[in-house]
Amino acid sequence: MGEENEATNTQQSTTVSEEQNETALNFLDSVDTYLILIESLTSTLRQGWLELSSARHSMGGSRLNTVLLSLKHHSAPTTVELDYDNAGSMTKSKSTQLTLSKWKSSDKKDSTQESNESEATASPLKTENHLQKERGKVLSMFGGMVSPKLRASQLSFETALETLVEIANVRSSILEAHRALILHKG
Amino acid sequence: MATRTQMPSNSSGLIAMIADEDTITGFLLAGVGNVDIRRKTNYLIVDSKTTVKQIEDAFKDFTTREDVAIVLISQYVANMVRFVVDSYNNPVPAILEIPSKDHPYDPQHDSVLSRVKYLFNTESVAGDRR
Repeated sequence: MGEENEATNTQQSTTVSEEQNETALNFLDSVDTYLILIESLTSTLRQGWLELSSARHSMGGSRLNTVLLSLKHHSAPTTVELDYDNAGSMTKSKSTQLTLSKWKSSDKKDSTQESNESEATASPLKTENHLQKERGKVLSMFGGMVSPKLRASQLSFETALETLVEIANVRSSILEAHRALILHKG
Repeated sequence: MATRTQMPSNSSGLIAMIADEDTITGFLLAGVGNVDIRRKTNYLIVDSKTTVKQIEDAFKDFTTREDVAIVLISQYVANMVRFVVDSYNNPVPAILEIPSKDHPYDPQHDSVLSRVKYLFNTESVAGDRR
């Protein structure tokens, strides 16, 4: 009887030890991924800044200025979708998944059209046209004719946003694994 | 730190920014700029005239807003309000420290990586004691 209890305890401690190892591995993997993504982000941002500087050089500093930014009420066409794993409970330590939602239409007419067409049936050409239209609206802040470098910079910063959302998700994994490891230690 | 009402599951959120002019301009080009009815924006442009108090207030404002899911902050700006950034522990909004044009990213100052470092330091101390 005593031997059976000892065997059960050994088995349980082995399982706990395996769980701790798995948590530690997940933690290290997440940290590694985080560092790689930061490297990628730095590179993309550097490209974006360079293109922005080139655009400023060709368009002139007065045309590419934050003074021109509109303070009229408008919603962001690019947002982030949140998905909580366990129906929104923040007390349980479940990770939050973020997904980038790019260039939602600002026109009510377009929104109605989009809701009628599902993503599966909308043609790639229409989607591309919609994206170009939305990008154009933002570029128009800086005038009618903008430098190709400004358009390139816009694409670079869009790529940077995608990387940032990935980083946010990995950050969530790191913090969750960190909490689990602290709990095991305690 | 003030608590915020939790965002409902499967909802959309804004990306707030506290950074230099070029970084803000770039991300605004990517479509993250938002101005509400009260003309409140989801970004703060940091320049030589911006005070630490303004940065701190913006950080506290963005982290308590219900509609913000991510806060991007240039690392050199985060260093000015390091205590406030490091004491932030909520999962949402996610605080992401990013490099800036004139200040490269330093992993030593990243608030997430500093927790990793602390964990490894305590592990090595515990190992030495054994």
